[in-house]
Amino acid sequence: MSIIEAIDINCQRGYYFLFNPVSFALDRGQSLLISGPNGIGKTTLLESIAGLRRFQQGSVNFDGKNILNCKDQWFDQSLYIGHKTGNKKELTCLENLLYFLQIQGVEINQEQAEQTLAAVGLAGFEYHMAGRLSAGQKKRLALARLVVVDFLVWILDEPFVNLDVAGCDWLMSVLKKHLNNKGLLIITAHDNRAIRNQVSQELVLQANLQ
Amino acid sequence: MKPFVALIKRDLILGLRKKSQIYQPLVFQLLVVTMFPLGLGSGAKTLAMIAPAVIWILALLASLLTLDQIFKNDYDDGSVESYVLTSFPLPLAVLAKVIAHWLLTGLPLVIFSPLIAVLLHLPSSSIAVLMFSLLIGTPIFSFMGSIGSALTMSLKHGGLLLTILVMPLLTPVLIFGASAVVESSLGNSASQPLLLLGGLLVMSFTLIPFASAAAIKINLE
Repeated sequence: MSIIEAIDINCQRGYYFLFNPVSFALDRGQSLLISGPNGIGKTTLLESIAGLRRFQQGSVNFDGKNILNCKDQWFDQSLYIGHKTGNKKELTCLENLLYFLQIQGVEINQEQAEQTLAAVGLAGFEYHMAGRLSAGQKKRLALARLVVVDFLVWILDEPFVNLDVAGCDWLMSVLKKHLNNKGLLIITAHDNRAIRNQVSQELVLQANLQ
Repeated sequence: MKPFVALIKRDLILGLRKKSQIYQPLVFQLLVVTMFPLGLGSGAKTLAMIAPAVIWILALLASLLTLDQIFKNDYDDGSVESYVLTSFPLPLAVLAKVIAHWLLTGLPLVIFSPLIAVLLHLPSSSIAVLMFSLLIGTPIFSFMGSIGSALTMSLKHGGLLLTILVMPLLTPVLIFGASAVVESSLGNSASQPLLLLGGLLVMSFTLIPFASAAAIKINLE
């Protein structure tokens, strides 16, 4: 049985369904690229899968149970990083990482946090305010959450945006490692030439014409 | 309970670094209160008579200045997701946010209230009752405000809408708070309005986190 199973899901904006109902199934070590033109509802779909929104149609099962009925389990095992990075601009990089994880109920010590920041290329910026970072650095700070804890399911909305070439290569290696470690990945990417070769499935959203 | 403490600590650090959230209500209160003697111009007696109402209305208006901030900043930068997408119960997260907001904005109002009271010639015997009534009244502002803030967090300029939504809910607090101070300045016992205020606080504490949590979820849809 697949870990994640989506059956005929669809999202609504106002009175309209965004795309034709989609289904997919993901097992350990598998990944899904969601693609489609701008405005088709990729972000809405990801937010719904993550649990920020509700589906208007269909259901997503995690480990055989509807995620609406096992929310705690789903939230503990999944990590969503969207367009908004979730960084507080008045907190330092170190504080941002530590407080985000503490709110999620994850405890790490300062040394681990410093190592993580170094791993995402923010060494030397530990005590810089997040508001003063560049857009790419902010993205790196958000992506640091991927490296530090073992979430089973990664739900990433355009993670490559704003990253430089080295950053994209780094992220790609992190994603590969995650999949090799039997993790799951649901991703959207605007420039999907590189990621397309790595994912096991691709889902192209099609406009609902009704 | 660790996420609860972490959320309070994070918000306190943010508030102390930004500061405007803390001193804005205080400066506003001080500025307005200095206008009253100038406008009324009729000596200590009139001021003392209107003092309870003025102090409580000022506390209400000063609180309204910062209420929209409770969830708006978190919504704008996306950090609201950090406590929505977790197994930690959302109502508890709301409670943490409200406590932090009160410590940053309500508590300073309580501490500075004797100064305002002196400027308005409130009898010194009533100052203890005033401080106590504000101590149990201002948290209700933060609680009620959290509903308004959760409902308006996705709006660009939700301040006025929030005021319209929240103001009617806050009138009982104003009525009981001000009447407690009036009673004590007349030499009567203030226990009845204070007990009613206490009841309102208990009700807010137990029910409003659930209402705000529901409002956050509606707004994220």
